Amino acid sequence: MFKLKFALPLLAICGLAQADTLTIDHAMGRTELDAPAVRVVTLYQGATDAAVALGITPVGVVDSWVEKPMYQYLRDELADVAHVGLETQPNLEEIAALNPDVIIAAKMRHEAVYDQLNQIAPTIAHETVFQFKETLDLVAAATGRTDAAEQWHQNWDARIADFQQQVAELDNIDWPQQVALLNFRNDHARIYYSSFAGNILNELGFERPQAHREDVWGVKLTSKESIPSMNADVFFIFMTETDATVMENYQDWTSHPLWNTLDAVRNEQVYRVDQVDWNMGGGPIAAQRMVDSVFEHYGLE
Amino acid sequence: MSHVLLRNRSQSLALAFHRRTLIGCALALLALSGLLLLSLCLGSSVLTPTEVFSAAFQADSDHRFVVHTLRLPRALLAVLVGAGLGVSGAVLQQLVRNPLASPDIVGVTDGAAVAAVLFLAWGSALSLDWLPPLAIAGALVSSALIYGLAWRGGVLPIRLVLVGIALAAALKAITTLVLVMSPLSTTVRAYVWLTGSLYGAQWQDVGGLLPWSLTLLPLTLLFARQLGLMGMTDSHALGLGLAVARYRLLLLVCSVGLAGSAVAFAGGIGFVGLLAPHLARGLTGQTMVGRLIGSACTGAALVLIADLIGRTLFLPQDLPAGIFVSAVGAPFFIYLLYRRRH
Repeated sequence: MFKLKFALPLLAICGLAQADTLTIDHAMGRTELDAPAVRVVTLYQGATDAAVALGITPVGVVDSWVEKPMYQYLRDELADVAHVGLETQPNLEEIAALNPDVIIAAKMRHEAVYDQLNQIAPTIAHETVFQFKETLDLVAAATGRTDAAEQWHQNWDARIADFQQQVAELDNIDWPQQVALLNFRNDHARIYYSSFAGNILNELGFERPQAHREDVWGVKLTSKESIPSMNADVFFIFMTETDATVMENYQDWTSHPLWNTLDAVRNEQVYRVDQVDWNMGGGPIAAQRMVDSVFEHYGLE
Repeated sequence: MSHVLLRNRSQSLALAFHRRTLIGCALALLALSGLLLLSLCLGSSVLTPTEVFSAAFQADSDHRFVVHTLRLPRALLAVLVGAGLGVSGAVLQQLVRNPLASPDIVGVTDGAAVAAVLFLAWGSALSLDWLPPLAIAGALVSSALIYGLAWRGGVLPIRLVLVGIALAAALKAITTLVLVMSPLSTTVRAYVWLTGSLYGAQWQDVGGLLPWSLTLLPLTLLFARQLGLMGMTDSHALGLGLAVARYRLLLLVCSVGLAGSAVAFAGGIGFVGLLAPHLARGLTGQTMVGRLIGSACTGAALVLIADLIGRTLFLPQDLPAGIFVSAVGAPFFIYLLYRRRH
């Protein structure tokens, strides 16, 4: 009898401790957290976006690539958050001063400073910076918000299914369409194959032209003679529209006679889209906004 | 007493310190120490020298992590890198008798860059610890290649320079080609490496570079006398009893080793090697020993200041030191040239 009396609370404590320890496997090894993290520092754009998607306000974030210091779509939520420098070289002293519970990093960017980050706080790293679903799961696991992440995944899957159903019923297009994701810089043009937006377009059911099916990020085009290699039924184009030299180059390429021979141009299915949502955000909210813009361009709700 | 002479009993080795050199070197080392202390005090949080000392030597200090783990290895690495590049530049300028010479012309920076960029583009399966040894290997291979190609019954300085420039251009082309062809994600890392940065320096980096500095810097100093004679024409030096070809190769190896190891840990900041000897001129006297020590001090100071600016002037951003080596060094260099003219 006595034994039982003592054993019960002990068991309960053990059980509690067991449940509270979080073990997370990631690109740089295995990290154990004693409790769900409250003070989070995010060191790449997608992780910052994922934190906001889960209702977390990080205590520290890195500067955005454009619309500095933070993308417009995240500004309201992150108005008072400390910045810790560039994604490529986050300031370690600033991070240490924030006294975080966990740091979300990317092996691709922060492998060289991983040991030092880990000395500041347990650091969880994703392999890359654009796998928004896995980023969401990592942040959710570290902060004990897996339920919220699960809910997000369900909403996402429903939204994708909704698009596929609606787009197949459209009369004016021949679904599935072949898509090309184009990007113009000030001295060249790019076709993105597999990337943040590329993966989402695949998920939505778009197909690739035969020549675009290589498993690489994409290709740089430096000569207008290669315009025909862009060919597809529909184009989504993103670029830094605030940069006059980029827009000049875009005008150059699109006023070339070869441009008008492309299927998408003839179909009038050339859509200019937001580069933050389509390329630089890299997180779940950006992904949703990107899908919303696809719905919009196809006249769907 | 105009100078202090250190020599071994057989008089095969000798080091002469003129009084002006001694005073100049002492002042330069003092200034460098002050700069080192300053860079340990400044950062996101400003510490007093007392706090810095207690953090560096006591494990339980509040600032232990910031000073001992972040700032100290970074500052020491800056000093070693700068000193190595400075001495390497001074040796080369004397060897090829051209004040425009720098470690770049014997393929050090470009050879290391090709190795580093290739590794960053396609070697991601390996740990990043492989980057420094591979970069050193790249530097050594390309300088050996330049020396071999310039060989014609011996190596004349002018041939060395011309072959060096040609090969550097070819290596630069390879680097650019790799950057264009490599996966998009790795080009960002490669650009940071090419700019040159001390970001994320750790004790193991200091430990990796220290053996190179500790052997090659004293070795170069020991051969200061021979290096001094190299400044004359080959026939003069030969006439004075110097085995010109042997010492040229030996000093070249020292120079390549110093610059190659420095570049391996800090990336492409070879520009220091061109600037440091000129900045040192007039600071530590015109003797070879003075010029070498002076170049080491100014090189170290240049990298230290550049890194300090990069990590404090634009807070919270932490920018690559390579940007500021040129930004600080070039105007100062031009100012010196301008002042000397008048």
